[in-house]
Amino acid sequence: MYKYSNIDKKIIADRTKQFQNQVERRLNGKLTEEEFKPLRLMNGLYLQLHAYMLRVAIPYGELSSTQLRKLAFIADKFDRGYGHFTTRQNIQFNWPKLPEVPEILDQLSEVEMHAIQTSGNCIRNISSDHLAGLTAEEVEDPRPWCEIIRKWSTFHPEFSFLPRKFKIAVTGCLEDRTALLVHDIGLRLIKKNNVIGFEVFVGGGQGRTPHIAKMIRSFLSKKDLLNYLEAILTTYNQLGRRDNIYKARIKILVNELGVQKFKSLVEKNFVKFSNEKLKLDKNTINDIFNFFKLPKLKYSSNKLPISKNKKFNEWKQQNTLPHKISGYSIVLISLKPPGKPPGDADSRQMQELANISDDFSFGEIRVTHEQNLVLPHVNNTQIYQLWQQLDILKLATPNIGLISDTICCPGMDYCALATARSIPISQKIGNNFKKYFDQKSIGDIKIKISGCINACGHHHVGNIGILGLDRNGEEFYQITLGGSAKEDAAIGQIIGPSFSEKKLISAIRRIIKTYRKNKKNASEDFLSVFRRIGIEAFKKDLYDNTRKKN
Amino acid sequence: MTKKLKGDFFLLSANELQSGKVVFYTKKGWLPNSNKAIKIHRDDLSKYDDIFKKDEEKCIIISAKFVELDESGKIKTLRDKIRDSGLTIKIK
Ligand code: SF4
Repeated sequence: MYKYSNIDKKIIADRTKQFQNQVERRLNGKLTEEEFKPLRLMNGLYLQLHAYMLRVAIPYGELSSTQLRKLAFIADKFDRGYGHFTTRQNIQFNWPKLPEVPEILDQLSEVEMHAIQTSGNCIRNISSDHLAGLTAEEVEDPRPWCEIIRKWSTFHPEFSFLPRKFKIAVTGCLEDRTALLVHDIGLRLIKKNNVIGFEVFVGGGQGRTPHIAKMIRSFLSKKDLLNYLEAILTTYNQLGRRDNIYKARIKILVNELGVQKFKSLVEKNFVKFSNEKLKLDKNTINDIFNFFKLPKLKYSSNKLPISKNKKFNEWKQQNTLPHKISGYSIVLISLKPPGKPPGDADSRQMQELANISDDFSFGEIRVTHEQNLVLPHVNNTQIYQLWQQLDILKLATPNIGLISDTICCPGMDYCALATARSIPISQKIGNNFKKYFDQKSIGDIKIKISGCINACGHHHVGNIGILGLDRNGEEFYQITLGGSAKEDAAIGQIIGPSFSEKKLISAIRRIIKTYRKNKKNASEDFLSVFRRIGIEAFKKDLYDNTRKKN
Repeated sequence: MTKKLKGDFFLLSANELQSGKVVFYTKKGWLPNSNKAIKIHRDDLSKYDDIFKKDEEKCIIISAKFVELDESGKIKTLRDKIRDSGLTIKIK
């Protein structure tokens, strides 16, 4: 895992001190709210419906046990005993008090964490594959590249006031677990003629105008990564619209110019501005890679244990994956037990999980963009014991990738921008599809829920997407079908008129029924059926039935 | 702030600067629930503009807004109801 350099430490310490001073000046009236707001946002501090919210970066979703313990401590001491893991691998605390935020930041800096660039029109937390470095099919571990980009983008003087926020994801696999193609820039490590480099995608995004990113480079040499990123950001910074917030993201620019034109501008800037200092030499790259070595794992032929315990077997089947080192498994921890807000973990769970990760997974934890956690290196001989401990903590729900593993934004329960609530919808889905057997018989499916068109809950790319709307003061939910955030990324299609909160779950049940009816075989998943039969078949069943019921 | 408002009656609400907590303007100042909040007729809104602006300047509150009431005198929108009564979900 990456360890802060002295420069990193100084940057964080200076920023914390600076913010402390800004908070003091705000509290004693020397700064107005208008002056203070951009400063607090630069430090990840929002004002939501009921309180302030502090968003803390978890770079590329990687946490140490020490860091998780600190997050538990912060949740207890400064918040209401829980935190919320987000769809960009960050954590949010929903109830901090303004005078205490500098102390929280100080506590975070002790464990090499911060809230810088988790808000504002800058380059945000770099996100990555939660299985980075763990799978055999990976071309290369993307985390060192994320770290290189993090270093370059932190306080980058030219890119601190971009037209709009900017999100970058990096993956090392063809199978995409990062939602790469709905990022402003998506970087995929590939191997061509035995040389590793990047495919570069730009202009993906969700919000009110969703776009799938387009490829602008089929191969970028590693040494040129930063110069090329600089060329993309410079092009965007010069031409991105600042006159209209809804048209300010890079996706609009790419779309308005056309991908070929955008690409040629980037290539020109790449030639014009390429800077020797930004060229990455082998030593620099190797130095960073050294931080991301696997812990000392011993190959063995140990398989996952066979047990008569049904609950354990279900969990083992659903929540574990083979590690690239034989004898070990990757354990996925669901933060979606029925009835709980997706992505929330309480301080006891965080504290205990930190201890568990020390005992079972070399003190390492990952955060997924689907709002779950991962223990990356668990010895197969210890799996049963681990499951017992997770079960006590209510962290052993066997639903990874199933219908109750919903992605969900905070919605109107917390968010000042929301048009409807989203967490209660997710809870209803969880309660309606509780049994493992039922969920398993439906198979892999992604339901994603957003409380407004900003789409933080990724509804556009849900196999079933749910968007909360305000219709004359009442909550309604629009359903989209066929979205995907994976390598075959697609924006979901609106099925028809929206549903009241009361009727939404039965609408989802009918959609599932149509899927089951049309499934050719047990392994054909929801998205494949949708792509084969199209939206009309779903529409017909859904609205015919609705009419009958009405 | 008063220009876009519909409806006849309102409450004045804000967030406390220090805690971020939701508060309502009452005869005794800013308090955390709406029961005791002063019911304001739309013709009087501008008077209350001055009140919240002063309290914003005094660093007591931020993000002040008028909360619309329905015909029965209850808070009208779901967002404002949630602001007043808190989360609709169990968190732990
Ligand atoms: S999608 Fe809308 S409601 Fe949900 S967190 Fe984002 S801004 Fe808030």
